[in-house]
Amino acid sequence: MNIPRAIPASLVLALLALLVLAPMAGLLQLSALPGFEAADLRIWENAYLRRVVGFSLWQALLSTLLSVLPAILVARAFALQPGLPLRRMLLGLFALPLVVPAVVAVMAVVSVYGSDGWLPLGRKLYGLNGILLAHVFFNLPLAVRLLLPQWHAIPQSHWLLAEQLGMNHWQRFRFVEWPQLREALPGVLLLVFMLCLTSFAVVLTLGGGPRSTTLEVAIYQSLRFDFDPAKAVVLALLQLALCMLVAIFTLKLQRMPEVEIAAATPWAGKSKAAQWFNLALILAATLYVGMPLLSLLIDALRGPLLRVMFDTGLWLAFGNTLLIGISAAVLAASAGWFLLAYSAELAQRGHSAAARLVDLAASSVYVVPPLVIATGMFVLLSPRVDVFDWVYPVVISINALMGLPFVIRCLGPAMRQNHARYHRLCLSLDLRGWNRFRHLDWPLLRRPLGLAIALVAALAMGDLGVIALFGSTRSATLALLIYQQLGAYLVAQATVTALLLLALCLGVFVLLEHLIGGSADAAA
Amino acid sequence: MYSILLRSGTVLASLLLSFSVQAAAPTLVVYSYDSFTSDWGPGPQVKKAFEANCECTLELVGLSDGVAMLNRLRLEGANSRADILLGIDTNLTAEARASGLFDTHGISLESSALPNPWQDDLFLPYDFGYFAFIYNKEKLHNPPTSLRQLVEDADGPTLLIQDPRTSTPGLGLVLWMKKVFGEQTDQAWAKLAPRIVTVSKGWSEAYGLFLKGEADMVLSYTTSPAYHLIAEQDARFAAARFAEGHYQQIEVAGLVRSSRQKPLARKFLEFMISDEFQKIIPTTNWMYPAIAGNEVLPAEFSQLIDPSPALLLDEALVASERKSWVDEWLEVMSR
Repeated sequence: MNIPRAIPASLVLALLALLVLAPMAGLLQLSALPGFEAADLRIWENAYLRRVVGFSLWQALLSTLLSVLPAILVARAFALQPGLPLRRMLLGLFALPLVVPAVVAVMAVVSVYGSDGWLPLGRKLYGLNGILLAHVFFNLPLAVRLLLPQWHAIPQSHWLLAEQLGMNHWQRFRFVEWPQLREALPGVLLLVFMLCLTSFAVVLTLGGGPRSTTLEVAIYQSLRFDFDPAKAVVLALLQLALCMLVAIFTLKLQRMPEVEIAAATPWAGKSKAAQWFNLALILAATLYVGMPLLSLLIDALRGPLLRVMFDTGLWLAFGNTLLIGISAAVLAASAGWFLLAYSAELAQRGHSAAARLVDLAASSVYVVPPLVIATGMFVLLSPRVDVFDWVYPVVISINALMGLPFVIRCLGPAMRQNHARYHRLCLSLDLRGWNRFRHLDWPLLRRPLGLAIALVAALAMGDLGVIALFGSTRSATLALLIYQQLGAYLVAQATVTALLLLALCLGVFVLLEHLIGGSADAAA
Repeated sequence: MYSILLRSGTVLASLLLSFSVQAAAPTLVVYSYDSFTSDWGPGPQVKKAFEANCECTLELVGLSDGVAMLNRLRLEGANSRADILLGIDTNLTAEARASGLFDTHGISLESSALPNPWQDDLFLPYDFGYFAFIYNKEKLHNPPTSLRQLVEDADGPTLLIQDPRTSTPGLGLVLWMKKVFGEQTDQAWAKLAPRIVTVSKGWSEAYGLFLKGEADMVLSYTTSPAYHLIAEQDARFAAARFAEGHYQQIEVAGLVRSSRQKPLARKFLEFMISDEFQKIIPTTNWMYPAIAGNEVLPAEFSQLIDPSPALLLDEALVASERKSWVDEWLEVMSR
């Protein structure tokens, strides 16, 4: 097969494989040394682990359904209310939960639903309830953001036709909206599933005890507590395999796009009742997402705002956070672009299985725990270089890796549609390379690209994991600072720092989405 | 990509820089946990005080906790830049000893404040504390007076604890329970389990939830109320004194065998047990200083409970049994 775009995509895929597999090989190699021997690796005979796997999958499945199904309704409500006041701000708000460091999110959720909270659930909060509440808080808004563009991709003629045929709401959803939704929905389900599968601090803190242990916790335990690298790798591979199975099943449901696309305003319809219903949905979702954030804001405003703000360490961390976020986002977006261009080309030529495989490879790297990759990288790097000088490259590349699935989800549907529609035209005009990017792809894809870059940047800025592992004197980030403050009884300061991190993420998010996505339409 | 290039440039520059600095004054590298090295921990004051007299640079490297530090050192082996490892506790010293990565410190600990005499030629203590359940006096009026009472009273206070697989106090409670209940520990855990609201990953989450009012008591240290007294002038919090005694945590430092500047490293260890260093500990690390002396302890510490007798299991026993005890805990708590 001589398919253009195969070379850069293969390079990216090779790089991905290297980033994931080389650290694992490093860890396995380590287990051959004295002091690091593997204990019993027959993990499938271990009743505890079987239960852990069962629980991981169960809570991830429930969390996914509870996040994504309501998100369909909420996204639809947003789509059908293009003139809603503060719409852009509300959608900005919906990007925030994802970047709240887990420990802060847990505290915010407890502020709302805890014993002394606004809607007290008492002890019932701890257990599956708490896990689901927190996961829906994280993922419902994300799913809304990812699904919303689908409504704007429905051609105007479809809405008109539905109107002329006198379709009712259900029929319109079934025949006009659903076919379009199906292009993105399986991918979003998969992404949210992966996020919930690998959830760690939320599950451990709100789960009520080791009854709620996920595979991610077991991996952490084997690497940290038992220091058994081989077992950690085996468990990480198990998690990867489980995720791949789910992914293959989910992505099979994905419909590859038809040749028609449009950038239209969804038809809101004239029914007042439907409008009120949509507004009520938006209000409910905003309250659900906004309450924990509001509690955080109130706590932070009561805190020592000025003392925290005038700390130089804070601004250094601020700079580091920004550097890591933007670099990771640009890296992830470039890698994602090459992969998607190739996958779109494959799909266009009818190799949809191969196209899905590229998609699958790029998405499932997310479930390899960063702890495993980072420790493996450390094993490989430390005999050769001074790892302190490599903190940034490592942190940025791991964050880019973790951001890649988000790029695939944001950009994938639009890019495939674009390719399907304009590829032949480009061939006939001999529009290639930079010119094609400049005149065709950029104007049409900048909006999803902006969302992708903004999401990954925000996500990387909220990440704690990797930087804490490598540790250094000069590389604090805001997320790390929050943990350090919490570890020093400074709950109030930590809340202020968290607010600042949120403000930074929101600022970067809105700015990037605006700069890259353009301001043409306040839609999505 | 640009930032990577930029970063590589900085890497090169900092390499060159570090050569020139090394030529001028030696750099002593100390691995510690990041609540020690953070701006709010003892780190900055320790650095300033030591550098004032050593004609050297003290580089404090913050890692997430004692386990991470030891694993890191084991991974780096003889290539490690670390001269000193500061911040593992006696539950890890047996493993650290077995690793062969540490050298004798050659320092005798005089006027130790520890309840039992200190005999260890590889590790030197710098502070210690006792685990305890903290409560709010305004909310809980009759706290349990023994661990046994806490366990037996089915209507007793609700608790927040930490996971022994991820947290030092969490492991501390497992050992405390073992010390008090011996063979019956699994039954004790089973009685306690219904009142445990949640088990958190680290100390911060549990303590944060406690301050938000999620449970009556939280597993922490006897010295925690001192923070609220000194930093917040808040006298509401107290540690419940348990008749069996409180399990002890002793934090130690060790000299890394592969260090190329052992005299300077030993000088740091001497400094670590001096008044100057010890005075910094109580109000930054919120633990008891390892050496005795009235000057080093703030007055508020006298309001804390008397945790005696101090409970401690032998480090070798902990090293060999830790995993099975944690598995026992895991088994009971997962029912």
